[in-house]
Amino acid sequence: MIGHYVAKHAAKLVLLGLLCAVAVYVCVVLIGMEAYGVAALPLLGAGLITYIFLSEKRYPLRWLVPGLVFLSVMVVYPIGYTIVASFSNIGTGHMLSKEQAVTQLLSRTYAPDDAVTYTYIAFADTAGTVALVLQAENGWILYRDGVASAIDPSDARLVDEDGDGAPDRFSDSVRLSIPQIVPRLSEFEAYRIEYGGTLIGLENLSQFRTRAPQYAYDPESETMTDQTTGVVYTALDGIFTAENGDEIYPGYWVWKGLANYVALITNPQVSGPFLRVFLWTFAFAFLTTVLNFTLGLGTAILVNDPYLRFRTLYRVILVVPYALPAFVTILVWSGMLNQHFGIINQVLVDLFGQGARIEWLEDALMAKVSILLVNLWLGYPYMMIICLGALQSISPSLYEAARVDGATWWQQFRKITLPLLLMPLGPLLVGTFAFNFNNFNLIWLLTEGRPPIAGAMTPAGHTDILISYTYRLAFEGARGNQLGLAAAVSTMIFVIIATISAFNFRMTGALEELSKNV
Amino acid sequence: MYNKHTLLGGLWRHALILFLCAFSIFPVLWVISASFNATDNMQLQQLIPPRPTIDHYRQLFTSDRYKFASWLINSLKVTLITASLTVVLAGLGAYAFSRFRFKGRRVGLLSLLLIQMFPQMLAMVALFLLVLSLGEIFPWAGLNTHTAIILVYLGGAMGFNTWLMKGYFDTIPRSLEESAKVDGATPFQAFYKIILPLARPILATIFILSFITTYGELIIASILLRSNDQFTLPVGMHLMIADQYSQRWGMFSAGAIVAMLPFLVMFVLSQRSLVSGLTRGSVKE
Amino acid sequence: MKRIAIALLGIILLAGLTATASEAGKLLIWADDTRTPIMLNVAADFTAVYGVEVEVQEIDFGEIRGQLATAGPAGEGPDILIGAHDWLGELILNGLVEPVVLEPATISDFNPVAVDAFMWGDLLYGVPYATENVALIRNTDLVPEAPATFEDLLATAVTLTDLEAGKYGFLIQQPDPYHTFALHSAGGGYIFGKDEDGVLDPCDMGLDNEGSIAGAILLDQMVKDGIEIAGAGYNEVTGAFNAGNLGMMIGGPWTLPGAKDGGINYGVSAIPPIAGNAPGVFVGVQGFMISAFSENKVLANLFVKDFLISTDVMLGLYIQGDRPPAYLPALAFLSGNDDIQGFAAAAATAVPMPKIAEMGSVWSAWSDALELIVNQELDPTTAMKDAANQIRLLLGCE
Repeated sequence: MIGHYVAKHAAKLVLLGLLCAVAVYVCVVLIGMEAYGVAALPLLGAGLITYIFLSEKRYPLRWLVPGLVFLSVMVVYPIGYTIVASFSNIGTGHMLSKEQAVTQLLSRTYAPDDAVTYTYIAFADTAGTVALVLQAENGWILYRDGVASAIDPSDARLVDEDGDGAPDRFSDSVRLSIPQIVPRLSEFEAYRIEYGGTLIGLENLSQFRTRAPQYAYDPESETMTDQTTGVVYTALDGIFTAENGDEIYPGYWVWKGLANYVALITNPQVSGPFLRVFLWTFAFAFLTTVLNFTLGLGTAILVNDPYLRFRTLYRVILVVPYALPAFVTILVWSGMLNQHFGIINQVLVDLFGQGARIEWLEDALMAKVSILLVNLWLGYPYMMIICLGALQSISPSLYEAARVDGATWWQQFRKITLPLLLMPLGPLLVGTFAFNFNNFNLIWLLTEGRPPIAGAMTPAGHTDILISYTYRLAFEGARGNQLGLAAAVSTMIFVIIATISAFNFRMTGALEELSKNV
Repeated sequence: MYNKHTLLGGLWRHALILFLCAFSIFPVLWVISASFNATDNMQLQQLIPPRPTIDHYRQLFTSDRYKFASWLINSLKVTLITASLTVVLAGLGAYAFSRFRFKGRRVGLLSLLLIQMFPQMLAMVALFLLVLSLGEIFPWAGLNTHTAIILVYLGGAMGFNTWLMKGYFDTIPRSLEESAKVDGATPFQAFYKIILPLARPILATIFILSFITTYGELIIASILLRSNDQFTLPVGMHLMIADQYSQRWGMFSAGAIVAMLPFLVMFVLSQRSLVSGLTRGSVKE
Repeated sequence: MKRIAIALLGIILLAGLTATASEAGKLLIWADDTRTPIMLNVAADFTAVYGVEVEVQEIDFGEIRGQLATAGPAGEGPDILIGAHDWLGELILNGLVEPVVLEPATISDFNPVAVDAFMWGDLLYGVPYATENVALIRNTDLVPEAPATFEDLLATAVTLTDLEAGKYGFLIQQPDPYHTFALHSAGGGYIFGKDEDGVLDPCDMGLDNEGSIAGAILLDQMVKDGIEIAGAGYNEVTGAFNAGNLGMMIGGPWTLPGAKDGGINYGVSAIPPIAGNAPGVFVGVQGFMISAFSENKVLANLFVKDFLISTDVMLGLYIQGDRPPAYLPALAFLSGNDDIQGFAAAAATAVPMPKIAEMGSVWSAWSDALELIVNQELDPTTAMKDAANQIRLLLGCE
């Protein structure tokens, strides 16, 4: 029985076995890299996939596995990362983990007052092992195999072959010339030579020097003491701070709990223009979705006409805006809309005189119009392509029947085309709304949110949408980049848009369609 | 839905479309003009450049630093692979959502949509670190590889694409698969042999959309690709205008125009598939 | 179709190539597109002499900081990076760069302003190689002599301006605080004041002091007189200048290649005194910095100190980047170059751009204020006061 089963599903079992083997391999490597938290994930994933492919009940899920694997790793994981980051203060000055920061600080050395400078000679044997002889007035040191010991300049192992007073050989190791040393400098750099209670490190191409660590770390009290000044710095909020406020860089990130979210809500900087920006964001997303869909659908219907000549040529021309990179075309538009130098105003002024000059990007209202106009230009080809595809799914027999019943074109459109299109496209329109809610690119490239709102508490523009406004706050506010804050903002925006979308779904009855669809 | 045109009907249709074409092409004319203009400026006042030159186009293919030809090949490679696999992944998922009833179906579909709505501001940092780690386990899929970038792009395969395809599959009557089942076919065979040919229009649509999205993708590519000969077109071309004060708009515009051509070719080729499969007489109602 | 799928999967696997990152024994340099060509040559020379492999990766100028912050600690960063001095604040806060120790004799071979720009406290954090600042650039066919005072300049501008014909007399690109700083600084305006230790104090905000406001009022007047127009950004201003439609502009060395291409005869001179006071301009300094996460610090130091500091290399960087060298022996070579002398004259009263990380908040607020003034939405005094208050709020000062 089992034999029969195995034979029939041989290929599948082999592949699943391979998958589990790979997962175990990855897990082991991760454990080797000390990424314990993440190490369990490949095993979980492989286990889940194996279950799905062996269970009859879960057959439908097999179809979803490939896509879901990529989705979880490439999309869900970054979202998880973002949400986790939002509970920390990660950002400029707090990019490292505590271990990394402490390690970096502890590796800082200084030359104490009694530092000894050594010149050195390097010797290498045929196997490539290096022996160093450090030379200073108060004596020479031999460093080999990680051990440092005193050596007398007249030691027998040091052979001067060419009689210039400097040893050319050490036992069977040959002296390295400068060109031979340079490629190995990094190797020398890594040496920490302990000798007589001091630490000696590579100073530059030709010297070693005694070094002492600049900081002493006390893990219990979480303090760093500067050995040169004696000042004690206590760990405070991710930075070692002295009593007088001086700080040591780099700092490290710490968990802040809900601090970022609280800041967002209670901070006057944010709540100031927030409502206004939010309203425009909503209006923009809604209007642009409606406008783009209308024009896209209209155009699709026009070029779907089998009686239209040059159909394909027209379609190609109409799709060209979509074929060029957005950052080029948006830039071209901003040039065309320029008040004094742009072609649009030049034509208007030529035709209607100076009074016809429109402040496309400087007036609050016209700037909003410009945004909608450019996004229409950018987005209607996409809608056209989708509608063209979706129009094919409507069976012509429906139109035949309607025509037989004497329906006009408009009636056919309203009763057949539109409803049958909105079924698959409804959720897509909701998606377009959400996409434009977060359409950072367009706003940033065309207006950067300008024109500025006079008297706002924080820099904000009339065409700023939530995401561009908060991007500026997180990345151009205060001190450098506040990634933790940006993460909190992202999460909050997501909550807002998800709520709106859920509401939209309810309204358009799309959920019912889901259940009804057999 | 369509009738044969009267003369007037034909006239206003063509007029309307020509107006839309003009609207669409107008800014593009500027880009074309800039590509022939000797001065590297994007804010031009005249459509016909005063001293036209084809220098920019020549430089595209002869420049050492701007290896346009290799960027083009890189882009085409990455894009074709990504688009093809996207159609496969999305199609498999869409079919499951359309035909099968299983626990988590509704939630799954909704989640797919909602996940797309998360602002990806910080995702770049996460993806960078992810690919970095990936490269330490599988060196051929780490930073600066095309494999890594394709894998990242495939993360977006199931999303709106699945919704679109599912909507299309929903309109194909189940009677076809029923009869296939009677003949002893597995669901996968029914999918592969019967449904797919009928779904050509939507497959072509998704391919086109995925193609252009991947072809023009800049942000992820610029983070994951590091060396000049690995760059895809958007990253490479961005180099031309990256330095705020010394932008080579002429060469850039020439590049943009040339870069557009493969997409247009592919678009034309795919138009044949956009004819409804349902009219092909395989349906017996 | 199964065959196609398998074939595609195979292609993906083959499509990979090994990644590159900083490894011991090899130098990795990050440079933007302007610096990369010359660095490739320098790298080749270094390899020829020392037998050490040097790789130059081209990264967008604006991206280097951000990528360094993520890549550096992860071990994927460079050994050496080329950047601007005002990055130091952010880089030091993140512990990303190492101090560089130079002999006093070597230091004196450099432009003191450039050295000062790369100092933080009393440590030097990079080797400067180029300075840049703006100056007055005029079309000598339209404006044969450099104006003696700013008032003369404006008078000349008025005679040259003819909006309907598309001719302009004088334009400062807007909204651009960097280019407009001269107007504010002449009267004593400043951004951040220094505290007793000589370190910039972010809470000593000077954007709404008398001098700054005087500059804003001047700008406002220029708009009212029809000299300055809305929507004149970098592309518009240089486009007009290169086409011979603009008499004078405030610009940096980067504008010259375009002017030459357009066949314009130009002259570079210092910005004339405003109300009797010499305007100060911002100086930006570019230099080589060493990553704190490098595994090859001694090698990197060798490269940066011994190899780069030479007249040949510095001149090479000048030829590629068109910026006046910070290395004095190289600069001396160019004493016959009028352009360089013009910029040097303008830089006589130069102020290094503030390098503390707090500058990020300053640019947006100040920029908005300038735009409001140019669009005539707000009077200059209120605009500057609002900007200063916005910045104070962002920085958490009182």
